[in-house]
Amino acid sequence: MDDSLLVVAKDFIHKGSFSFEKGGEIPSFNLRYETYGTLNENASNAILICHALSGDHHCAGKYAPEDKKNGWWDNVIGPHKAIDTNQYFVICSNCIGGCQGSTGPSSTNESTGQNYNLDFPALTIQDMVRAQKLLIEHLGIEVLHGVVGGSMGGMLTLQWSITFPSSVRKIIALATTARQSAQAIAFNEVGRSAIIQDPCWENGSYDSNKGPEVGLAIARMMAHITYLSDKGMDFKFGRNRRKSTGELFDVEFEVESYLRYQGQSFVNRFDANTYLYLTKALDRFDLYGEDNSLEKVFSKMEAKALVIGFTSDWLFPPNQNRSIVEAMLRAGKHATYTELQMDLGHDSFLVDAPDLYDLLKHFLSS
Amino acid sequence: MTQAEAEFLLAKRQAADFSIIDEWIEPKSRILDLGCGDGELLSYLKTEKQVFGIGVDNDINKIKSCIQSNIPVYQGEIQDTIQLFPDDFFDCIVFSRTVDQLSTPGSILRESLRIGKRLIVGFINHGFWVNRLNFTLKGQRTINTVFPDSWHDSRKANPFSLAEFEKFCSVYNIKIQRRCCLGADWKKTCNILPNFFSGYVIYDLSL
Repeated sequence: MDDSLLVVAKDFIHKGSFSFEKGGEIPSFNLRYETYGTLNENASNAILICHALSGDHHCAGKYAPEDKKNGWWDNVIGPHKAIDTNQYFVICSNCIGGCQGSTGPSSTNESTGQNYNLDFPALTIQDMVRAQKLLIEHLGIEVLHGVVGGSMGGMLTLQWSITFPSSVRKIIALATTARQSAQAIAFNEVGRSAIIQDPCWENGSYDSNKGPEVGLAIARMMAHITYLSDKGMDFKFGRNRRKSTGELFDVEFEVESYLRYQGQSFVNRFDANTYLYLTKALDRFDLYGEDNSLEKVFSKMEAKALVIGFTSDWLFPPNQNRSIVEAMLRAGKHATYTELQMDLGHDSFLVDAPDLYDLLKHFLSS
Repeated sequence: MTQAEAEFLLAKRQAADFSIIDEWIEPKSRILDLGCGDGELLSYLKTEKQVFGIGVDNDINKIKSCIQSNIPVYQGEIQDTIQLFPDDFFDCIVFSRTVDQLSTPGSILRESLRIGKRLIVGFINHGFWVNRLNFTLKGQRTINTVFPDSWHDSRKANPFSLAEFEKFCSVYNIKIQRRCCLGADWKKTCNILPNFFSGYVIYDLSL
């Protein structure tokens, strides 16, 4: 029997202007979100989940029993799971600047009646967190029991502990970094170039129905490789072949077919300008600040922190996760670093892993 | 003896270690426990002395136990971890039955005296008479509750005696502020010929 949670997506409409960190404002915004479980009487059991770059607010359950796919972290979130929805009130919102129901470059600009496209203000991780804070307040929550996120979600998690130190009791950041390395920026730049150099991009003013699909698919194919690992890909695909049409450059190997599929399915659900905005927000992310001192930045933190690195992650390698906790400890904070031996690369945090479940469960309940 | 019994006896022995370390630690001090295991010592000191303690270990199951006990813990190698902190960052650094597992014990102990004002080092005295007798008469290492496993089932260890440790301290001008030698039962203190009669020793060291 399928015991998946049945969930509905909701909209939080903020009817006031929102100013962005790097300048610019929008007259109002929408955040699409989902909640699971029940908020207790003193509103002390709320956990905010922060999604990764291409993720969304649908992190657990299904919309209808016949849905083929559950939310992206359904293995972690649900009744009796590591983040137990019988115990916690779990919230996940699509970030501001996103394209899965929240206001972003592909939303309509009220003043022109057209899509914002490149008129949308430059976006940062802090903007996403400040918009989430308004949602949390709207839900009647002053202090979150926890904020949890991996990859870009991990950046949001860290940012929460610094921007709103007294509003978070515990943070769990997975497979993340306190600032993007040159390598990570480089990969994002290749993706952006693929989009920008697609003639259909039209300086960002493409028609909503047909954008730079080739560029976006290539960006996704390349980025997807950075989420996996040599060993993981070898295990999944090896040199397995596909039936080929015999054309010179047709798909020959399983891995090619997989990447083409990833690229194509991304085009169907993601907006190219949003991809440009979000990857830039990642690249700009640098918690070290003007003094180049992470411990100084974390001296504000009040939350207890758990940071988890994954041995095969080469996008945000273990050392970058380690450095976060090292700075927190030097700042005299309660922080734990642990590393999971997993083969699946950056995306390891998304897969079935009993050790990860134990860590999440113990840390949230201790 | 079953494994459960052996573990119980060992836990009782560890408790002896804890109470002495507890006596030597100032309330509310900042402590680094290198090789913290399940975080039991830090939990104990947190309750007894309200210390702020950080543990270091490299085993995921130990890390999980520390998290359950609400002890911050850093998963990593001891020699790398001690490089992370500035001078005199900790009031005290604890090595409880850790030193014999280190690959470069001398340099780690000396580096620890940079980041910590004091070191508390507890170890099994390999000069204890039972160990000597077993080797002299049987030509074999001791197997008892302290060393329950044969050589082929034991992890890498570098056992040493009280006398060898004190020689090291004297060569590197490390001051022994306090010393507590425990007898065969790891309970009663033992001050007669400790390198021969003491089973477990704890030192309070500084520069």
